[in-house]
Amino acid sequence: MTSRRFSDVEFGEDLPPLTPDTSIPNVTTFVKAAGMLNERFTDHEAARKQGLPGAIVPGIMSQAVMASMIHHWAPEAQVEKIDTVFRAPVLVGHPHTVTGVVTDMDDDAHTVEIDLTLENEAGETRVLGTATVRLP
Amino acid sequence: MEIDDLKRDWLNLDFDEQKFELRADQMLDFARAVGETAPRFTDPDDPDFQAPPTFTARFHSRRLLPDEFPRIGLPLDAGKAVMPQHPLRAGTELVGRSHLHEIYEKTGRSGRMIFLVARMELYEGEKLASIVDSRMVIREKPNQ
Repeated sequence: MTSRRFSDVEFGEDLPPLTPDTSIPNVTTFVKAAGMLNERFTDHEAARKQGLPGAIVPGIMSQAVMASMIHHWAPEAQVEKIDTVFRAPVLVGHPHTVTGVVTDMDDDAHTVEIDLTLENEAGETRVLGTATVRLP
Repeated sequence: MEIDDLKRDWLNLDFDEQKFELRADQMLDFARAVGETAPRFTDPDDPDFQAPPTFTARFHSRRLLPDEFPRIGLPLDAGKAVMPQHPLRAGTELVGRSHLHEIYEKTGRSGRMIFLVARMELYEGEKLASIVDSRMVIREKPNQ
């Protein structure tokens, strides 16, 4: 892990994309940890019976993956706020990519604003977000 | 239903209180499942071991809205915001108090949508530990 300081960041900088593990075993681990046991997250057939296209990744897992991407980019970063909009289902077992771009910087507070996006393999946005992050 | 009436009657009134405990095993599994690799999230022996910043998003009140809130439609999940205030350690007990923090409307081609933001403030003793905003949208029925 490479430390990243506020002075290292450039306006408009792209964060390295992250590919989250959306496999059923990993999502199952998450929903147990999050106390969200529901078959719609872990069983495609049960999810279809609920009218979904298949098992879906919980919104708060997508949100947490976005925070994780920020820490991959800047391991010492402190997330002060992360706001996400769950626009469409994130399907379990499908490849997705999380991206981020620095859209604002506050020299006095040492904080940066990051626009966050989670897309599926078709390039369709499933989750949108913004984060305010403090850097050393 | 007038937005100003909803604001007057329902904003900033606590409608739920719940206690939550931060368990190390849940913090660890949560962190690992979302791909965190920093030892402060993934190593319980790290002196700075703490919950991932959005861990408190897993806590929710017993009810989405106050019991007597007008039944103007089905509230759908429109997003979530988390504002951690300081690192949260394993074994900590939090008290979450919920209130309606924002009520606003948007009108589109399909009619009016009413947005409600339920805010849970999580306290560690007297200290504010985290804020979780749950945004809901209600698509108003045509005759309202």
